[in-house]
Amino acid sequence: MKKLCIILGFIAAILAVILAVTPLSNLAIFPLVIAFLCGLIVLFISKKQKNKTKTIQYIFLLVIIALTLTIYKGVFNGNEIGDTEALEIREEENLKDSKDILEASEINDTY
Amino acid sequence: MLLNTLWLKTYDMKYFIFTFLALLSLNNFAQNTTVAAGEKLIFTASYNISGLLTDIAQVKMETSEVKTSKHTLLRLKGTATTYKKWDDFFKIRDLYESYVNPKTLTPYLYKRDINEGGYYKFMQYNYNHKSKTVKSLKRKKNKDGKTWDENKVLNISATAKDVMSTLYYIRNLDIHKATVGEQQNFKILFDNKEHTLVLKYIGKETISTKIGKKDCYKLVISIKGNTLFKGTNDNLLWLTADKNKIPVYAKFKIPVGNGELKIESATGLKN
Repeated sequence: MKKLCIILGFIAAILAVILAVTPLSNLAIFPLVIAFLCGLIVLFISKKQKNKTKTIQYIFLLVIIALTLTIYKGVFNGNEIGDTEALEIREEENLKDSKDILEASEINDTY
Repeated sequence: MLLNTLWLKTYDMKYFIFTFLALLSLNNFAQNTTVAAGEKLIFTASYNISGLLTDIAQVKMETSEVKTSKHTLLRLKGTATTYKKWDDFFKIRDLYESYVNPKTLTPYLYKRDINEGGYYKFMQYNYNHKSKTVKSLKRKKNKDGKTWDENKVLNISATAKDVMSTLYYIRNLDIHKATVGEQQNFKILFDNKEHTLVLKYIGKETISTKIGKKDCYKLVISIKGNTLFKGTNDNLLWLTADKNKIPVYAKFKIPVGNGELKIESATGLKN
């Protein structure tokens, strides 16, 4: 049970850190919760068995890193638009080209 | 003989009045009372990943006046831009344009210039409503980065429109006169193929949006014979139940998930 929780906790904590770095940071919440619960179970078992395991510290450390990144991104990284210069140029070019096409076209107002 | 002539005259007169009224009502139906130049609608597009909605892109819909030497047209422009955090993963810079008659919203020219994660495609439809044809131009990029063109002349239905002009045309419909469950078909030209879009009015609903609490017309959108937009109530559109009929909220379901489109701001409205 202890070993299973350690492995599961580690995998979940690493996954949470990876997701926290990507734009899918809000998805890191799921593995974060799993890692935290696994960490608590391992801590509880270790206290019962009266032995100390370093792995609990590592799991909680990874959980803290992922949680900090997720909260930081959620608070400070709003919905910011990227570089639209190329799109604006395309818009201008299309407008100019469209005017030429429309000028050459026979537009029937009755439709 | 005299009676016969009189009857014929009365019949002609009746026929004339009927035709006149029919034409008048048709003309009224087609008149644009919803959209004016200078309108700007901004939306946020979100995608549902594992039950969590993630904001992916900003969608803008703008209208402006375009003048040629003989005519004044309405330019309907739609852009989709991914947020900065997504640009490194999947960058989208899409442009949709339709040049329409400002009175009837009939399209004369349509352009679709899309750039999605390195995939480039350009489509252009030059309408000829008299001959019910469209001069189509498709431009794509090959692996070397060089572009190639494909020109076609397509036969279309008299009422066929592109995506942009259809969306604005829907806004101009007299939805207040529709009864719950009533549906209407629209011919849409997309990727050189004509599709039948079915719009069904399923009632009124009050929803909270960024521009306030709004009474809305709830509509179901489906495309006949298309698996992307199945005929179920998965693709919904909420239009404000006022004279502007602004699309404030949309829900869509595609084979790889579902998403939402929420209004952020609406400026330059006609009414």
